[in-house]
Amino acid sequence: MNLHWSIVWESRYALLQGAGMTVMLTVATMALAVPGGIALALMRLSSSRIASKAAAAVVEFFRNLPIILVIYWAFYVMPILLDVQLSPLTTALAALVLNVSSYNAETFRAGINSIRKGQMEAALAMGMSRRQAMLKVVVPQASRRVLPVLASTWVSLFKDTSLVSVISVSELSFVSMQISSHSYRVLEMLTAMAAIYWLMGYPQAKLVDWIYRKYGVKE
Amino acid sequence: MDFDFSPVIDNWRFFAGGLGITVALSAITAVASLLLGLTIALLRLYGPRWLRILLVFYIDSMRAIPVLVVLVWIYFALPVTTGVTFPPFWAALVALTLHIAAYAAEVTRAGIESVRQGQMRAGLALGMSRAQALRKIILPQAVVRMLPAIGSLLTLIIKDTAIATVIAVPELMHRADTISGQSYQPVSVYTAVVVIYFAILFPVTRGMERLYQRYAHLGRS
Repeated sequence: MNLHWSIVWESRYALLQGAGMTVMLTVATMALAVPGGIALALMRLSSSRIASKAAAAVVEFFRNLPIILVIYWAFYVMPILLDVQLSPLTTALAALVLNVSSYNAETFRAGINSIRKGQMEAALAMGMSRRQAMLKVVVPQASRRVLPVLASTWVSLFKDTSLVSVISVSELSFVSMQISSHSYRVLEMLTAMAAIYWLMGYPQAKLVDWIYRKYGVKE
Repeated sequence: MDFDFSPVIDNWRFFAGGLGITVALSAITAVASLLLGLTIALLRLYGPRWLRILLVFYIDSMRAIPVLVVLVWIYFALPVTTGVTFPPFWAALVALTLHIAAYAAEVTRAGIESVRQGQMRAGLALGMSRAQALRKIILPQAVVRMLPAIGSLLTLIIKDTAIATVIAVPELMHRADTISGQSYQPVSVYTAVVVIYFAILFPVTRGMERLYQRYAHLGRS
């Protein structure tokens, strides 16, 4: 068996671009999925039964589907359903945002519910409006509890971006697999791909552990 | 827009076969990865120091790498180094098990550590061996406390088996791809498959929650 690791060095710019796209997808998805999650969580906690039921249905639906299926579905069905032509990148972003928003919604809901009712009541008794009490008393405490879970979701999302390679968005895994099949240097390219993911993902996993130790709820 | 579900109805045996493979792959992966995870967790907690360091490295690496990468590496790259070629189903089983076992190990470790230390000491004071105390006192409580986490692992496994479509394991997702390509009816095929996956995953999620609610009292101490 002869290996030619030089192919990895020769493809360094393509790989770097792929890794950049992976990071970009992760950041963009999270940037949209945090407001999305907050909106769904507020809908679910609202007093309107219809809003609450609708939010619950959306959240349960996307939490119980394989993300790769959501990506395929968004790719084939969404353009026909909405009658728009979307680029693979936009489609990928839409699928990831729908998935992560649903997870975030549950995270935020759990965070808000974890703050004892007495805190809201105390704030109301002090003459704050419901909105003030929420923003000044409940949300600051909830956000500390939510942070570790959001960090885990971040790492899962970082890994899940690899799945959009199935609709040929040129992120790290798509680029690596393309080069590996064109150059026939399968072992070298796939090992390089795994190594790059590891280099990016390992520090993130360790950071999540640190955030859990620092902010995690201790009973 | 019109939904024409005839490609799904005409090929229902084909889809049912795919569903069978999805279920089989999920079930075997679940059993294998929970057992491997338990072994890893026990070795990490009670094993020699060098092994602990190695296992922590393994667990954290699996948390850092996408399952797709593990899958593709085992199916395409491993044969180049070792000459061992796995058929797609077995490659998927090995990759998913290696990946999920790392999570199962963390779940198991958290479960065991959640049982207070005094219980192990009490067991030892009663003349039990470490293994006996673990088996008869610690693990039964830990398992109950782990139920919600095992539930999320099960849904995660079922969802991850869909990724095996990229190495052409003929499971549900892959068969959807095949029929959608043949019939030019991606809308109805994928919509039907969305419904099927949801119909499997939702009861599993709910069922595990019910199970925990019913037995949670057994884990309290």
